[in-house]
Parts: sequence; structure tokens; C-alpha cells
Amino acid sequence: MGIFTREQEKVPCTVEISHKFESLHAHVRFNNGAVVHPGDEVLVEGPEIMAPFGEVVQEERNAIILRASIIERLWTRATGDFEVMELCEFSFSEEATL
Amino acid sequence: MNKHSADATTAEEALAIQETLDSGMATEVAMKNTLLTPRFYTTDFDELDAIDVSHIRSEWDPLIERMLSDPNKGHFKKNDDWDQVDWDNMEPQLKKEFIDFLISSCTAEFSGCVLYKEMKRRGSNKEITQLFQLMARDEARHAGFINDALREAGVAVNLGFLTQKKKYTYFRPKFIYYATYLSEKIGYARYITIFRHLQENPQHRFHPIFKWFEEWCNDEFAHGEAFALLMKADPKLTKGINVWWIKFFLTAVYATMYIRDHQRPAFHAALGVDPDWYAHEVFTKTSKLTKQIFPITLDIENPRWKRGLANIQKANKDLADAKAKGKKFAQLTSSIRAGIAFLMLLSVPSKKHAVPSVTSLEPAY
Repeated sequence: MGIFTREQEKVPCTVEISHKFESLHAHVRFNNGAVVHPGDEVLVEGPEIMAPFGEVVQEERNAIILRASIIERLWTRATGDFEVMELCEFSFSEEATL
Repeated sequence: MNKHSADATTAEEALAIQETLDSGMATEVAMKNTLLTPRFYTTDFDELDAIDVSHIRSEWDPLIERMLSDPNKGHFKKNDDWDQVDWDNMEPQLKKEFIDFLISSCTAEFSGCVLYKEMKRRGSNKEITQLFQLMARDEARHAGFINDALREAGVAVNLGFLTQKKKYTYFRPKFIYYATYLSEKIGYARYITIFRHLQENPQHRFHPIFKWFEEWCNDEFAHGEAFALLMKADPKLTKGINVWWIKFFLTAVYATMYIRDHQRPAFHAALGVDPDWYAHEVFTKTSKLTKQIFPITLDIENPRWKRGLANIQKANKDLADAKAKGKKFAQLTSSIRAGIAFLMLLSVPSKKHAVPSVTSLEPAY
């Protein structure tokens, strides 16, 4: 990992998208156990994955993890907390008028 | 009518339909496609793993046991109580605001699910990962239920965000506890207040989803209990400098709710609810609940608190107007006014009280 430079990793991953009445969820699992750190970016390659209503779709794909540089990682750790209010979602979007 | 990918029976069919949409026929489609945009977070997973629940075992075990027994399994299904909704004749502004409510709620449940699942996956402490797994289950279930209500309204959520680049930000565990604890408890208070109000005034129930709020909010309640116990497991989190953080989060959460509710007048009018009354009800209930773990509550009866809320709401409204009209100077002044109003809210002395030795509560409203 570079101090200023970003590195890229390609990792196989399993994507699961559930579009069922009982459960609406979407998760990516890296098959090689790779973990993401603050400031990293993740992109699942390939076309958009759509699960039809009532089904769970699992696909093997590759994901690109763009590793944050040391500087970026420290910066995200130091400043990420400011966005924590995003976790408080109550019922309406922040749009002032609709 | 064009078929939407959500109506396809196989993934290939869904993809094919999506491609047709993308090639310029989207205007004819009846379903409005809404891309869910949850955010992605990381935290200090070692700190999560280090949580020791052994000294709160007497409260922890019953909570986990109840969540494992899954009392709400089967509840989130449509039955005869699900009345037909006349979407076509719904007043347009109400329809807009109500759909905004559904999409935001769906995104919130979905983001909760992503966050909890990530905590489950990255942790190695069995007790903590089990808890997050159970909470992720509930959130995904709620999201699915709202999604179904949205489909009826002609809105299809799109989960295609995974193939877009997403950045992971970082929150300290304690901030996740304060923020999610409060959103779960305030969520409970919001839902139960509306549910009880509509029990007494059923003529205002303009959509059947409100009938499901009672059991729904019991899940929120249980999640809140879990976060209360996580904070209890580490007493530092509710002492010293952290009391200031608690005050900050209480103030920010209450103020945000107040501002957002006042931006949705048609929704509240249809429910027959005055947003000021509603805010006060919800704050009262939330304050009472949060006494279980927080050593302070906000003085919501203080005239300065009420004035501060009105000021911050007005400043936000002016800010939105200025933004819409592209007035830079007015944007600056209203931002400053909003900041001052927030500081004014923070400056209202909070009420201190002793925290009970037993934390667990039952939903009683």
C-alpha cells in the first residue's frame, strides 16, 4: 500500500440479490476473504444484476477493489464520523420540497 | 404495457427487459424505476469483537432468545386487512410525499441490513455476530414489505447499485451505537404514535401499511434494546465526555426529525396529525425510553428549545428556497442561521437523572 498511491486488486466474489417479499437484500462476499478498509472503493464488474421479483439471484463475479492510499485511509478514518448522521434515517428524504 | 424486470420470472428475462428499457423505451413503461442507494461503512471490527457481554448476561440472553424465537415471522404478509389502495385518485401532492416516505423507509431498512450484515460478516465474536445477523434479518424483511407496497404504487426499486462504484467510509463503533440506538427508538416512537392515533381515527388511515406498524415497531424496539445493552457492556460510553456526544446526537436526531416532518405537510394533513403535536409526542416517548441508558434527556419543555426548533426549521426552509433560486448570499446567511439555531438548541441545559440498574424495557405505548 502506497503512502500516496492507490492500488487495485481484482478479487472473485459472490453477489447475492434477494428480491423476495420476505427479504429484500443485496450482498457481496469476497471469495478469497479480502476485506475493505476505510476509503477503499469497490466495483463489481459486469452488467447490472437484476433479481426478478420473488427470486434470489446468486452470481459469481469479479470485483475491483481500489485500495485507498495510506493518506486517504487516515483521512477517511479521521473525517468519516462527520457523516454518521446518515445512519439516522427517519421516514423522509432530505429533499426540502417535493 | 411493458413488462418490468421485477415481473420477470428469470434473471435472464429480467436482464433482457432491463436492456430494452435502457435502449430508450423507458418513457412508455408504467413502473417508475428507483435505484436504491444505500451507503457503505466500515468500523473498528476489533473493538466490536472485544465486547464482553458476560456481566450483562441476565439481560442479554433473554433478548437474543426472543429474537431467535422470531415473534414477527409471518407477520409481514399481506392478508385480508390489506385494503385496495386507489393510487390513481390519490391527491398528487399526498402521493408524492407518501411515496417519498416509502422509498426513504425502504432505503433506511435496506442500509440497516447492509450495515448489520457487514458487522456480522467481519466480526468473530459469536454473540455479537449472532445479534447483527438477527437484526439484518428483520431489516431485510421490512424492506421487502415496503418494496411490495411500492410495487403496488407503480414504483420498482432497483438493486443494481452493486455494479456501481461505491466508497466505504468509516464510523467509530460508539457513533454507530448512539446513532442507530436513537434511530431505532425514535422509529418505534414514531410508528406507535401513528398507529395509536389511527386506531382512534381510522378515517385518516389512507393506506393499509399503517395497520402493520404495531408489530413492525416492536422489531425497532428490540433492536434499540440490543444497542442499549451494547452500550451497557462498556460503561465508558455513557460517561464523561461521551455525555456530550449523547447530547449532540439527541439534539441532531430530534432536530432532523422536526425539520423533515415539517417539509411533508400533505402527508401529515392526510393522517390528521399536527407535526408540532407529533414531534412533541415522539420526543416525549423517546426521552422516556432513552432514560434506560442515557444519563441525560433534553429539556423539550423549555421555551428556548421550542424557539430553537422553529428557528432551525425556518432557516432550513429559507436555505432550500435560496438554493432553488440560486441565490448564493441568501444560502450563506440561512446556513449561518441554521448553525446558530443548532448551537442554541445545544445550549439548552439538559436534564440529568440516575440510570436504572436494569436496562431492559418492554414496548408499552
